[in-house]
Amino acid sequence: MAKIRVSYKNMRKIHGIVFVLPWLIGFILFFITPLANTIKYSFHNVGVADTGGMVQKYVGLQNYIDLFKVEVSSQSKQFLRIFSDENLNIFVNTPVIVVFSLFCAILINVKFKGQGLARVIFFLPIVLGLKVVVDLIMVTTGGDVADAAVSERFDNGMIIDFLLTYTFLPLKVSIFISDLANNVFLLLSQTGVQTLIFLAGLQSINKSLYEVAKIEGASSYEVFWKITLPLMSNISLFAFIYTFVDMFLKSSISTEVYYFAFNKNNIGVGSALSVVYLFNVLLDLLLLLLILSRVVKLNHAAK
Amino acid sequence: MLPNDMRAVREKMKKTIFGLLFFSLIIGMGFAILYPLIKLAPVVFNNLEDLGNPDVIWVPEQFSTVSFQAAMRLAFGNGMPILQSVGFAAVIAFIQIFVSAIAGYSLGRVDFWGKHLVLFLVILTFVVPPQSLLISQYLSFKHFDMMGIMTAMNGGTIDLLNKPYTLYLIALFGFGVKQSMFVFIFRQFFKGLPKELEEAAYIDGCSFYKTYFRVGLPNAVPAIMTVAILAFVWNYGDTYYTGYFHPDGPYLSLKLATTFAPANVNHILYAIRTWYDVPGATTFAFDAAKQAAAFIYLLPLLMIYFVVQKRIVENFEQSGIVG
Repeated sequence: MAKIRVSYKNMRKIHGIVFVLPWLIGFILFFITPLANTIKYSFHNVGVADTGGMVQKYVGLQNYIDLFKVEVSSQSKQFLRIFSDENLNIFVNTPVIVVFSLFCAILINVKFKGQGLARVIFFLPIVLGLKVVVDLIMVTTGGDVADAAVSERFDNGMIIDFLLTYTFLPLKVSIFISDLANNVFLLLSQTGVQTLIFLAGLQSINKSLYEVAKIEGASSYEVFWKITLPLMSNISLFAFIYTFVDMFLKSSISTEVYYFAFNKNNIGVGSALSVVYLFNVLLDLLLLLLILSRVVKLNHAAK
Repeated sequence: MLPNDMRAVREKMKKTIFGLLFFSLIIGMGFAILYPLIKLAPVVFNNLEDLGNPDVIWVPEQFSTVSFQAAMRLAFGNGMPILQSVGFAAVIAFIQIFVSAIAGYSLGRVDFWGKHLVLFLVILTFVVPPQSLLISQYLSFKHFDMMGIMTAMNGGTIDLLNKPYTLYLIALFGFGVKQSMFVFIFRQFFKGLPKELEEAAYIDGCSFYKTYFRVGLPNAVPAIMTVAILAFVWNYGDTYYTGYFHPDGPYLSLKLATTFAPANVNHILYAIRTWYDVPGATTFAFDAAKQAAAFIYLLPLLMIYFVVQKRIVENFEQSGIVG
């Protein structure tokens, strides 16, 4: 047999493919096939046959219509309502979390005594933000005197009163701010990884840029807006996407999928819900990218 | 007073005020992050019958460890589940690192055909929530047939659900907890590594694989550390993959989530009342036991976290997630 000669370059490419092969197999097994099947199930009425196999009957868009017209969630809510609530919630909270984590990163990037301790504390949300931990720490009982005293909620009325009397903010903004203050522990518990990302980004900024700005006489305010923030645009994109995906993972829609498929035994509608959920995420991400590309000029060369 | 002096005083004032503001911000934020933990302390050490008493909020009148005992008895047994969970998380994290690192190396270093497509797919799999694929994944695991290979070999499909190796299998093929992100981190890191090292290795006669294991991997310690920490924490806290694909496994996160589910309040209260002879225990006792369990659950994580925290930032800086 003649020996096949492969050039070094091509050999390298083949080795490269060997290295991604496990991931590619996983992609076919655990991603594309399930995705195709989910879309297929969503157009079918799926049942279990007497022999044990699956029976599929094509029903067209009936599952989707059922999902929004007939079915209700495990909390007896309509799905249109759930989706709009979740989307609003995510679009409001994502910027808040990202800004919070950027703020944390800037704070601990400053050199001061006890910086090490501050870093330890500011990264704790990586551990404390796990869903299990949040669920466990949360107080389940409610409505008692003592509970009100130890719960994570402030007195809402006080903040609103304060804002209305001493600032010129309209009522809606005041309520929004007081809600933020209410959820500050929950929001902060989601910031761990993003803080880490931002801190890494802050430290990768070339120090000479700051020196130049100082020599040119820029104030620290100008330095932040003209140097720090533009150089962080790529990272904030990553942080935004990460937060977004994370929020969707923790949203209540994901538990509904399981509820439909296995508690209600309605695989068709459950799949339809999955597909809608999936497209919702992708659509929201596109929207986010669109907004971000308007607001910040992304540095595509670095990607 | 000389105008120069005035300026110095003003500068000093400015610095003090700024420092004061800065430290109050740091302390405030730190407090807000720690508050849930601080709040736990008086509850878990309190006498169970004092819980809910509005007079006893921050300082327990009678110190007691009953909630810890209850938590241990309910969820942790003899301590084996902790070891098992830590071991499981470590093994899965190791597999995830290995697979993500080779995929990331290839994506960052080798110009193979369709590289950009694969990179796009990695990002796509990162943004698609695994829950949306749950149903068909579950069904396909029930009758697992690796593209027809299984049927050809044994003449039938195998049931992968509730088998201990299922989770390892998922991680081995790159779809464990947030593994696409790990692939991306490794890709970014290897992309930023200087080429000269590899070229030198090649000239010295190293093969592709030898270059990777001798040159690529040892230089990737920052990325490996970063991914290791994240992978360990996330796998330790995972209830999704463990809950759906191996619900009978000895995973602590899962066990805690099911034991302390809101539906179990009355069972647990009954157990606590009879075991520890506290007939006056209210639903607050359930919370106390739950939070004591959270405390024990967090212990290994916190211990590891304090050991590695010094290096976590520097490693993350160098891990190239930034690029």
